[in-house]
Amino acid sequence: MLSPRCTLTLKDCFSGMSDHTFSVQLDGDLTPSQALPPEGVPKLPGLSDPERWVELHGDYLFKYALIRLRDPAKAEDAVQETFLAALKGGKSFAGRSAEKSWLVGVLKNKIYDYYRKASRETSFTDMEFYSDEESDRFVPDGLFKDGWIHELGPLEWSGPGASLDSEVFWKTFHDCSNKLPKNVAAVFNLREVDGVESKEICGLLNISESNLWVMLHRARMALRRCLETNWFGKDKEAE
Amino acid sequence: MKIIATIKERWEVWVWQHTPHCTEILRFASQSLEHPLSFRTRLKIRLHFLICVWCERYVKQLRFLHQAGSHLDHQEDETLPGHGLSAEARARIVQNLKTADSKNL
Repeated sequence: MLSPRCTLTLKDCFSGMSDHTFSVQLDGDLTPSQALPPEGVPKLPGLSDPERWVELHGDYLFKYALIRLRDPAKAEDAVQETFLAALKGGKSFAGRSAEKSWLVGVLKNKIYDYYRKASRETSFTDMEFYSDEESDRFVPDGLFKDGWIHELGPLEWSGPGASLDSEVFWKTFHDCSNKLPKNVAAVFNLREVDGVESKEICGLLNISESNLWVMLHRARMALRRCLETNWFGKDKEAE
Repeated sequence: MKIIATIKERWEVWVWQHTPHCTEILRFASQSLEHPLSFRTRLKIRLHFLICVWCERYVKQLRFLHQAGSHLDHQEDETLPGHGLSAEARARIVQNLKTADSKNL
């Protein structure tokens, strides 16, 4: 059937040859649907030299881990473990997708392992943070109780889409999310940055769905307010 | 003119009394990013927007944050904040990788 080197799924085995599509016959032979690459075209690169990984990807992976773990020592460990796992799996995974995004995928799992472990030691649930839910911005009593105090309601944000291209905006975004407590930030990053579904997050962190929703609600609320104060509410013309 | 003002005020009070209050709308806004809200709830939120521009803005802004977050996952090195690995950490990781690699061979 398949060649002995192909111990992974077909997709994994072939993805190293991503520039050429292959079809597979039932007897397992690989048949290029296109002619083989013409001579003179360099061979597709596999994983680069492990030492160069650190050179090429070390800083990025470290920053990526640091945002999520908030502890330089733990982030360094996670990066090292990622490279070690890559070293072990490197041969079977050779050439799989872009090296960097593959490494990021491995690192993500290392980070999730860390979260899982941490959630067993102490509860991830944080019901304290922002528990007043900006109550100072709402009418305290009367007919319009729990309505926005008009002067303190959300402002109109000008050109939010364009902000995505601004480095200063992202710096502000990171500064704001850095102000969230560790567990709230972890939940926020999992949901909003990594795009993990809420049910999965509950399983990973061992928290109830309703508590997760409350934490996300407050994190979003706090981040919105922080961005409004430090970015959208500011006169960007001056910058 | 006075009549129009009175009608407008009554309309606003009616809507206010028949739709969730702002604090609740904000909770719905966040929940809508987790699971689809019921038709009834969405209708009430829409109705509420007719008298409350602030909640409408809030919902829009939360959606924007939701989208911005997913952008962040694909950011390049330069835009991620903070410094990279320290020289010591770098040297240590390279050393450990070399050791592990030589064992593998």
